[in-house]
Amino acid sequence: MSQLGIFVDRKTLSNSEQLNALIHCRDIAEGMGHHVDFIFPVDIHKIPKMDALFIRARTDPLNVTYVAARMAEFHGIPVIDDPRSIRICSDKVNMYSHLIKKNISLPKTVFLSKTRLTVEEVTHLFDELGSPLIVKEPSTSFSLRVEKVSDIAEFFRVARRFIKLSDWIVVQQYIESRYDWRVGVLGGNLLYVCKYTIPSDTFKIQASVNGHLVYCGVESVSPDKVPPHVIDLGIDAANAIGRGLYGVDIKNNNGDAYVIEVNDNPSIESGEDDCYPRVFEQIVSYLFTT
Amino acid sequence: MCPVSVDFCVDSRLADAGRAGYPMSPRGSYTAHAKDASRVSDSELPRVPATGSEPELCDDVPSLRKTPVKANAKREQNIIKDSHYCIRRNDACHIISENYSYKTETYYTILNYELEGKKVRPSSHVILDAYVVPICLERAKQGGIPVCEWGISQGYVPLPALLYGLNYFATTSDFFEVHDNEKAKEVIKHITNIGKYPFCYQKLGEGATIYSCVGIFGKTATSWSPAAGIAEKVYECFRIPLITMVLVKTGEQLLLSSLAPTRYSQLTGDERSLLAAYLSNQEFL
Repeated sequence: MSQLGIFVDRKTLSNSEQLNALIHCRDIAEGMGHHVDFIFPVDIHKIPKMDALFIRARTDPLNVTYVAARMAEFHGIPVIDDPRSIRICSDKVNMYSHLIKKNISLPKTVFLSKTRLTVEEVTHLFDELGSPLIVKEPSTSFSLRVEKVSDIAEFFRVARRFIKLSDWIVVQQYIESRYDWRVGVLGGNLLYVCKYTIPSDTFKIQASVNGHLVYCGVESVSPDKVPPHVIDLGIDAANAIGRGLYGVDIKNNNGDAYVIEVNDNPSIESGEDDCYPRVFEQIVSYLFTT
Repeated sequence: MCPVSVDFCVDSRLADAGRAGYPMSPRGSYTAHAKDASRVSDSELPRVPATGSEPELCDDVPSLRKTPVKANAKREQNIIKDSHYCIRRNDACHIISENYSYKTETYYTILNYELEGKKVRPSSHVILDAYVVPICLERAKQGGIPVCEWGISQGYVPLPALLYGLNYFATTSDFFEVHDNEKAKEVIKHITNIGKYPFCYQKLGEGATIYSCVGIFGKTATSWSPAAGIAEKVYECFRIPLITMVLVKTGEQLLLSSLAPTRYSQLTGDERSLLAAYLSNQEFL
């Protein structure tokens, strides 16, 4: 019997949807004949005893999930998310650089270092990329530290805040849409597709509006109802990063599809997989066959 | 002797490498905090205070470092604050910086080299390994370096211990030595942001003393051989040209506790000379 470790933290367990998804994942893995252990940060020394590791907590190269991923890698244990994917996807400069290198369709994207943060440079960015612009701090996740700016003063207000956290920031052309496609990819193959409908009060999938957190709507969509070029772009974008598990966000505006970002550790607890009942089975199988 | 091609440059555009609010520990500005102060005589290494230790001047202990004079900090022997340097040898570019941390100008310079397919040392991946304490120690252990035993906790800690934060805002320059539960509670509250994040602890043995030592291309300015030996192995394992090793000495045993960035302004005269020799190609890699 193989041992599957599922790495979780307090935050993962504090969310009832995530907890249900974890229990569902455990039941499926046990049904496939594996033994499942939930591994908490304090149990990190147990990782070398596992045969595979599935990380289900917010990943970042500076937090404990990365320690878990590297511990697995040090001991030759297959892991989702692998450390390389965490490194690339957690840093938008790194992620977009990989996508650009593979000619993946993106909104126009510029990396701005703090030494180039001048009025002339910012004026040039508005001229080149249009208005409004999207400004991102590279470690953003769940739309945190992503802002839409319409003039130079607003740009500097946001950029000065972000530059305290990173010497480089990302500036992008704004692409309007009411929903994002999320293409789930595992090992280079399509895993699921869903639509994230953006709340009417914001341009983000999650935002604080008048002091209240608003979330996007989630609708799982069967592959025959998804434009084929969206699926192809999602798979190409995932392959530009690696061979792990990714959620690729795509805006399909007037038939032109653009990758907004590639996420490691994509959410699979809010109904993303409703049309794809074998998602966890495929993930567990993949972990034990790589 | 192999020929060395040196490409020595300072890019003025890259002169703002320090992250805002960079909480570098004032290494050497306080006296040692360890219980057994008498052991200082067996080493030339500076003992270092944990973050938050009470400041005490150390005029009577010449081997301890003091805060460098500010006037000398910005420019000495062509080493300029917040700049990074590239020494090219064979096909690889060796980046020297006082702050390699994630998302700094130096980090992105290294990442750019890698994306362009050029050989660069250290790699961005090694930098992340070096500055996350448990990963650093696991990698070092696999490289044959004696390391402190470590654990991850959300609250419990065996005493006495060295504590490190383990989150996005933590830096290895900040570590805390705790001997009693009251102090431990206070420190844990701080480094976990009131229980939000886990932390890394290292159990300290009886009479343990904490030292720091700067490694420059694997060499040290100290003649104390155990530290020099560790510096050499740390360089083989991480390939970081400029690094501060935090070491724990218990009895005759010297163990690596963590690796931390090294401010140019906090180098001793000998260390600055050694670094300048590398930068000016007087010292072969």
